[in-house]
Amino acid sequence: MFTRAFTKDNFLKLLQSTKGRIALVAIAVSLVIPFVLSDNYMIHVLTTVAIFIIYASSWNLLASSGQGSLGHAAFLGIGGFTSSLLAVNLGIPPIIGIFIGGVFSAAIGFLIGITCVRLKAWFLAMVTFGFLVIAETLFRHFDDYTHAKLGFRTPILVPSGLPFYYFAVSISIISVTVMYFMMKSKMGLAFRAIHQNATEASMIGINTAKYKLYAFVFSTFFAGLSGAIYAHFQRYIHITVFTADNSFKPLMMSVIGGLGTIEGPIIGSAIMVFIDDLLPNIDTFLNSVLGPLFPAISSVGPSIRFIGLGVFLVIVVVFLPKGISSLIRKIYRYVRTELSESEKP
Amino acid sequence: MIDATSLMLTLMWGLAIGCIYVLLATGLNLIFGVMKLVNFAHGELLMVGAYVSYSVCTGLGVNAYIAVFVSMGIVALVGLAVERLAFRRILGSDKLNEIFVSLGLILIFDNVVALVWGDKSKRIISPFENMSLQLGEASIRFDWLIALAFVVVILVGLLFLVKKTKIGMAMRATSQKSQASMLMGINIEHIYIFTFMLGAALAGAAGSLYGIIFPFNPSIGALPTIKAFAIIIMGGLGSIPGAIIGGLLYGIAEQSAVAVFGSTWRNAVAFSLLIIVLVLRPKGLFGEKGD
Repeated sequence: MFTRAFTKDNFLKLLQSTKGRIALVAIAVSLVIPFVLSDNYMIHVLTTVAIFIIYASSWNLLASSGQGSLGHAAFLGIGGFTSSLLAVNLGIPPIIGIFIGGVFSAAIGFLIGITCVRLKAWFLAMVTFGFLVIAETLFRHFDDYTHAKLGFRTPILVPSGLPFYYFAVSISIISVTVMYFMMKSKMGLAFRAIHQNATEASMIGINTAKYKLYAFVFSTFFAGLSGAIYAHFQRYIHITVFTADNSFKPLMMSVIGGLGTIEGPIIGSAIMVFIDDLLPNIDTFLNSVLGPLFPAISSVGPSIRFIGLGVFLVIVVVFLPKGISSLIRKIYRYVRTELSESEKP
Repeated sequence: MIDATSLMLTLMWGLAIGCIYVLLATGLNLIFGVMKLVNFAHGELLMVGAYVSYSVCTGLGVNAYIAVFVSMGIVALVGLAVERLAFRRILGSDKLNEIFVSLGLILIFDNVVALVWGDKSKRIISPFENMSLQLGEASIRFDWLIALAFVVVILVGLLFLVKKTKIGMAMRATSQKSQASMLMGINIEHIYIFTFMLGAALAGAAGSLYGIIFPFNPSIGALPTIKAFAIIIMGGLGSIPGAIIGGLLYGIAEQSAVAVFGSTWRNAVAFSLLIIVLVLRPKGLFGEKGD
């Protein structure tokens, strides 16, 4: 399967390539940045970015096999509730609980995957969205066990602030590395073949159902893991984790960043979380300028931001189908050829 | 136990909500059949239709049922803009792109409407507000019956358009083989525009009727879209009669689920049905045409 891709040679090869150097710089930046932006709120935002990188990458892994899920929030919630409920009811330490959450989420993902592997893109989108609605209804219905309606306080995983940031970043780095090697392995190649043309992929001997199911299981594992970490990070979990909004977020992050690339969800998560958490600062300004134009609504800020996001998403899909990462690659390639040409004579 | 009165009411509620789903599903089906395009933002056109109708009604004092036609026209123009600016550019590329663009459009429409009309719940006041038909103990609002009649008229008109007119024939030809119909001298670009506007107009009508029967806010669009898709999948892709029968049955099934299990189960029951259908028949109940 994909374990063969994890050889020492491949690691060394990666470290010597440009990609590897960029990755090392990115890791170094992520470790140093809390000392530059050291106020509590920024560390909170950066931790959110780290968690959403896992979540968006998990969605991206599934999408790389051509399966666009609209119900990933269900797995985020399942992971979160599993870990939190285990910790509260059975006293299982959250550090183990988050992985149980991931495994349980993957088990449910396996069941959903079985129903989904035969479906085409839009049918799959419908079924996954439907599963999200069903999961929410079940959590509401069995409130005696889930305590989802009122929500509850989740136990401490790692002390908040800097320790939690480093914990989230290290899990994030490990997860992204694992997913990188998955996408580079034979399995990842099969995913891309299925994405491009499922019929042709099965003709050259790829078991499409098997690989689609693999994609589902691994993706939902990481989604559950990120959900569990997120629940302990927020110190609170509530039924609202199962919103469509949470399902669309990883999608937008991956698409804006660059679908099917490893760096796409990372760039996208950073952009989206910053938009969500930092841009509200300009809301009062927007309100004072544009508020009088739209008397029907009390605060124009959120709507304007969301319209901007929607326009941005459409523009990216129409003009930059490979996302912002492709733009960066183009610029990099342009700069490199310019430099090498100027050196020649 | 369910008695006759509540059974009657459930049935009528089901038909009322069902006929809105029928309009939405028929529009989606037309667009899918002709353009092979999946517009997940179709429900947003319904929502815009409801608001346009509301403004025409309260602002200009026009009868709510005449406003339906105004709203159909305006939403068709909105559809034109959506087709030209967004969907036209990604037609024929990766199927996932359609989902992404739709999500972007959902964000844009939801929030533009919230800016213009506010985010509070609104209702269109119809001229038959408090009138109802007494059938035994069940009282049935006139508006439900009028909405049903409207849907029947619109659908008969649509069937006439598709089956009997020249442009309908061109639409059917494009839906069967777009390249061959291009060779026969059909401008499929124009057919695409016309189909999308027609689908949008149907969504506009659905929205106006929705606004007369139910209260609405900027975020009502998403769920009806998904349900309309469920109906299309169950009724057969590209089949208009399938969408009509499927829509009515779905509305009744949904209301029955609410009556039996309670309102939290409204959506879950419907989706469970959908998933069961797709597990048993991955291409929908009546198979799949084309593509």
